[in-house]
Amino acid sequence: MSAFLYMGGYAAYVWPAYAVTLTVMVLNIVWARRLLKRSRKDALRRLAIGGTEK
Amino acid sequence: MAWTWFHRLASPPHIYRVAGRLTPWLAWPAALLIVAGLIGGLVLAPPDYQQGDGFRILYVHAPSAWLSLMAYTTMAVAAGIGLIWRMKVAHAVAASCAPIGASFTFAALVTGSLWGKPMWGTYWQWDPRLTSELILLFLYLGYMGLRSAFDDVQRADRVSAVLAVVGVVNVPIIHYSVIWWNSLHQAPSVMRLGKPTMPPSMLVPLLMMLVGFTLFFGALLLVRLRGEVLSRERTASWIREALRT
Repeated sequence: MSAFLYMGGYAAYVWPAYAVTLTVMVLNIVWARRLLKRSRKDALRRLAIGGTEK
Repeated sequence: MAWTWFHRLASPPHIYRVAGRLTPWLAWPAALLIVAGLIGGLVLAPPDYQQGDGFRILYVHAPSAWLSLMAYTTMAVAAGIGLIWRMKVAHAVAASCAPIGASFTFAALVTGSLWGKPMWGTYWQWDPRLTSELILLFLYLGYMGLRSAFDDVQRADRVSAVLAVVGVVNVPIIHYSVIWWNSLHQAPSVMRLGKPTMPPSMLVPLLMMLVGFTLFFGALLLVRLRGEVLSRERTASWIREALRT
């Protein structure tokens, strides 16, 4: 296990690279869901204000 | 009629519904492929004979870089369709691509830099491949900045679409930069004519990651697209219908 974490001496480069990529992936999921949720909320508010305003 | 599919594609309620239904069919295979690819790349693949275990950065670097180019190409094509046929949904696709593409361009640059340090002896070099990928990041940021400068979504769509279409010239420049110029960056080892230059134990996890990231991009795009479509819509009846489910 420690040999795996050691990455043949490249641990200081390999693990940060994986961490950055996984962080970007998780953030993308969070951002996309947040956008959809906010758009839904805004659409519902427009409905409440009334009808087919432009 | 041959054109009905095109009109249905352009219809926001239809897109909203189909995108919602399609998302899990992309997201779950993406998750499975990425987990399998990570295990294959980090554990099962043998160390490289020159780069040792340092080469394993490949399994996050190459898919991120691939996604950054795929997202830009999708964005430019969608923006072009939006400009030519004045299709709201196409503009919504383009707008959805930008934040995804920008963040993975960032990931490609950072992981590349972390790979460059032990192999080339430097985090950064004004090399054709690295510089053109950095320009890609600026194109994404410029596109997003330009969009946010307009309150009117339709004007933002049209103006930013022009930038997206013009900027697409950078995509082939990035891809061929390692062939056209003397670059520190290695030449393509998978997306090339002829056989890949890797044994299957290294190649299979990479292909899983590339396909996984492609599907992941598709899933993110669909979720964002629903939000974008909804925010462009002012007709009460279909919003009511769409939000009921």
